[in-house]
Amino acid sequence: MKNIIKLTDLHKIYEGGTHALKGVNLEVKEGEFLILLGLSGSGKSTLLRCMNRLIEPTSGEIEIDEENVITAKGKRLRKIRRHIGMIFQQFNLLKNLSALTNVLSGKLGYVSLWHSVTFSMHKNDVAIAMSNLQRVGLEQFAKNKARNLSGGQQQRVAIARALMQNPRVIFADEPVASLDPATADSVMRYLGELNKNDNITILCSLHFLSLARKYGTRVVALKDGNIVFDGTPKEIDEQKFKDIYGEDAEEVEIR
Amino acid sequence: MKKKNRTLEFIQAIATDLLFWIYIFGCLYYLMHKWTGFTAKLTFIGIAALLATIIFQLIRGSIGVKLFLSSGKPKRSVLKSLWGYLILLSLVVTFVVGLNIVEVDFYKFFTKFQNAGGIASGIFDPSVTGYSLSAESINELEKDDLPPDVINTLKGIQNRKYSTRKVFLNDLQKRLGESTLQEYKSTILKSAEKNTKLLNIALSALAETIFLALLATVFAIPFAFVLSFFAARNLMPRTWLGNIVYLVIRTIATIFRSIEAIVWAIIFSVWVGIGPFAGMLALMVHSVAALTKLYSEQIENIDTGPVEAIKATGASTLQTWIYAVIPQIVSPFLAFTIYRWDINVRMATIVGFVGGGGIGLLLLQQQQLLRWHNVGLLIWLIAFVVWVMDMVSARVREKLIGI
Ligand SMILES: Nc1ncnc2c1ncn2[C@@H]1O[C@H](COP(=O)(O)OP(=O)(O)O)[C@@H](O)[C@H]1O
Ligand SMILES: [Mg+2]
Repeated sequence: MKNIIKLTDLHKIYEGGTHALKGVNLEVKEGEFLILLGLSGSGKSTLLRCMNRLIEPTSGEIEIDEENVITAKGKRLRKIRRHIGMIFQQFNLLKNLSALTNVLSGKLGYVSLWHSVTFSMHKNDVAIAMSNLQRVGLEQFAKNKARNLSGGQQQRVAIARALMQNPRVIFADEPVASLDPATADSVMRYLGELNKNDNITILCSLHFLSLARKYGTRVVALKDGNIVFDGTPKEIDEQKFKDIYGEDAEEVEIR
Repeated sequence: MKKKNRTLEFIQAIATDLLFWIYIFGCLYYLMHKWTGFTAKLTFIGIAALLATIIFQLIRGSIGVKLFLSSGKPKRSVLKSLWGYLILLSLVVTFVVGLNIVEVDFYKFFTKFQNAGGIASGIFDPSVTGYSLSAESINELEKDDLPPDVINTLKGIQNRKYSTRKVFLNDLQKRLGESTLQEYKSTILKSAEKNTKLLNIALSALAETIFLALLATVFAIPFAFVLSFFAARNLMPRTWLGNIVYLVIRTIATIFRSIEAIVWAIIFSVWVGIGPFAGMLALMVHSVAALTKLYSEQIENIDTGPVEAIKATGASTLQTWIYAVIPQIVSPFLAFTIYRWDINVRMATIVGFVGGGGIGLLLLQQQQLLRWHNVGLLIWLIAFVVWVMDMVSARVREKLIGI
C-alpha cells in the first residue's frame, strides 16, 4: 500500500528554546491505525500539530496525500487541512452551539465565506451532518447544546465534525484522556470503525497500552522528541515498555 | 562587586532622605506662609533639607538608612525606631497641608446648614403637579405692570404650592378679592402655569437623556466590536504589523478612556453646539474606548481549543473568527453593552451640565433659577431612573454571564 504521510527530519524548536521534535522520520501507509505513545512532554501533540501546520515546524519535510505541506500557503494549506480531521483531548466543541451546528462547522473548509457569514448551510450539508451524527449514535441530540452533553457524547460529536470533512486522515490527540474507561473504549471503537469501513488513516496518541493493543495496527513511541520504538503492538514487551516510559513505570490495564 | 553595591545603597539612602526633607520643609514653609505670611527664598528650604539629611545620616536614624543600607544600623533603640516617627511626622504634615489646601472648614459645615435649606426642602417637597408662583414669575408679573399691592399679596404666597388650579384660584380670590382676581387672572395664571409644566418638560428631558445614552451606546458598538478584535492579543499575529496594530489601538483606547466624558462634552458642545447631540458624541467616544477594552479582554479570555479545532478543518481566518470566536463572546458582549448603557445614562446627566442636553441641562437651569422644588423633582426622577437601570442591567448581566 502507498504512503499517505511522509515526514523527513522534522524539527520543532519552540520560541523559549524547547527542542520538542529532534528530527522525526516517519512513513505512514494508507489505512494504518497508528498509535503514538510517549510520556507527557515527549512531543506527541507537537508532532500531530506540525503535520497540519497548526504549529509551524522549524525544519524538515512533510508530505501528506502527495501534497507538500511545508510550502503550502493560504488557500492550498486550507485545502490540505480540510482532508485532515482532528480530534482533541478537550473535545474543543463550541459549547454554546448545538451538536448539529458543531458538526456542520466541519464543512467550513468547503463553503464560501458568504455562506458562513450568513450561517446558511446547504440543505444537503445539513442532511450529511445528520447522517454523521447518526453514525456516532447521537441523532436525537442534534438540537442539544454541546455543553449539555456528556464527555463521551461530546467526543463523538467531534468525530462527526471530523467526518464532515471527508477526511483521508484523522489525527487524534489523546482523544480518551478525559474519559472514563468504558466511554474511552466506545470512542476508540468509533475510530476503529472509521478506520476499517471508510479506510481513513488514523494517528492517535494514547496513554493506555491495552487500548493500543486492541485498536492499533502499529505503534510509534516518542521520547524527548525522538522516535524510540516503531513496530506492532504485540512487540511491546515489558522491557520496551520500560524503555518508553522509564524504569519505574508499571503497565496499567484498561479493558 | 560588594563595594559597588555599597556605594549604590549609600546614594539611594541619601537621595531618599533628601527628597523626604525637601518635602517636609516644603510643607512646613507652605503652612508658615499661609498662617503668618512668612516668606523666604526657596534655596533656604534646600539648605535646611540638606542639613537635616546630613544630621540624620550621621546619627543613622533616617528613613533612607532603614530602607537601603544593609549594614551600619544604629545600635541604640531610640534611633532604631526613629524612622517610624519620621514617617509619622510626614503623615501628620501631609494631613495638615491637605486640610489647608482643600479648605476644610468644619465651622461652615455645621453652622451654614440653612444655606442648603432651599434644596433640602425641594428634595423633601418636589414639585410634581399643582400651581405655585416662584420669585422669578412674580418678578415677571411685576414687569408686566401689575399694581404694587397685588404684587405684595402675591409675594405673600411665593413658592406656596397648590394641588389644583381650583384651589389656587380660590386662595387668590380670598386674598385679592373677586374683581381684582378677574382683572389679572389670565396674566397670573400664565406665569404660574409656566412653572407647573415642569413634570412634562422633565419627563421629555429624561427621555432625551435615556435615548442619548442609548444612541451613544448603539453607535459605539460597531466601532468597539471591530476594534476589539485587533486589540486582542491572542488574535493578532505576532508579526511586527500585528504588534503595532495591537499597541496603537490599545494605547489610543486607553488615552480616550482616561479623558472623562465631561471633557469630551465640553469639546463637542463647542463643536456641534449645546444639546443632546453633543452629549451623545461625548458619551460615544468614551464608550468606544471603554467597550473596546472590555470586549478585547473578553476575546482574550476565550477558550482557544475551538479556535484551533475550526482552524484545523481548513476554515479561513475570518471563518474561524465567526464560528469559533463570536459564539464564545456574544453573551459577555451583550452583558457589557447593557452595563455600558447603564453607565451612560448616569454620565448623560453629568454631561448635560456642561452642554450635553437632557435632564442635566434642565437641572442646571432650574438650579440657577433657584427653583428648589423643581430641582427636587429632577433629582428624584434621576435617582429613580438610575436605580431602575442599575437593577435591570444587574439582572441581565446575571442571566448572561453569571457575574
Ligand atoms: N507552545 C509551546 N511553547 C513552548 N514549549 C512548548 C509549547 N508546547 C509544548 N511545548 C514543549 O514541547 C515539549 C513537547 O510537548 P508536547 O508536544 O505537548 O508533548 P506531549 O503532547 O507528548 O505531552 C514539552 O517539553 C513542552 O513543554
Ligand atoms: Mg499532548
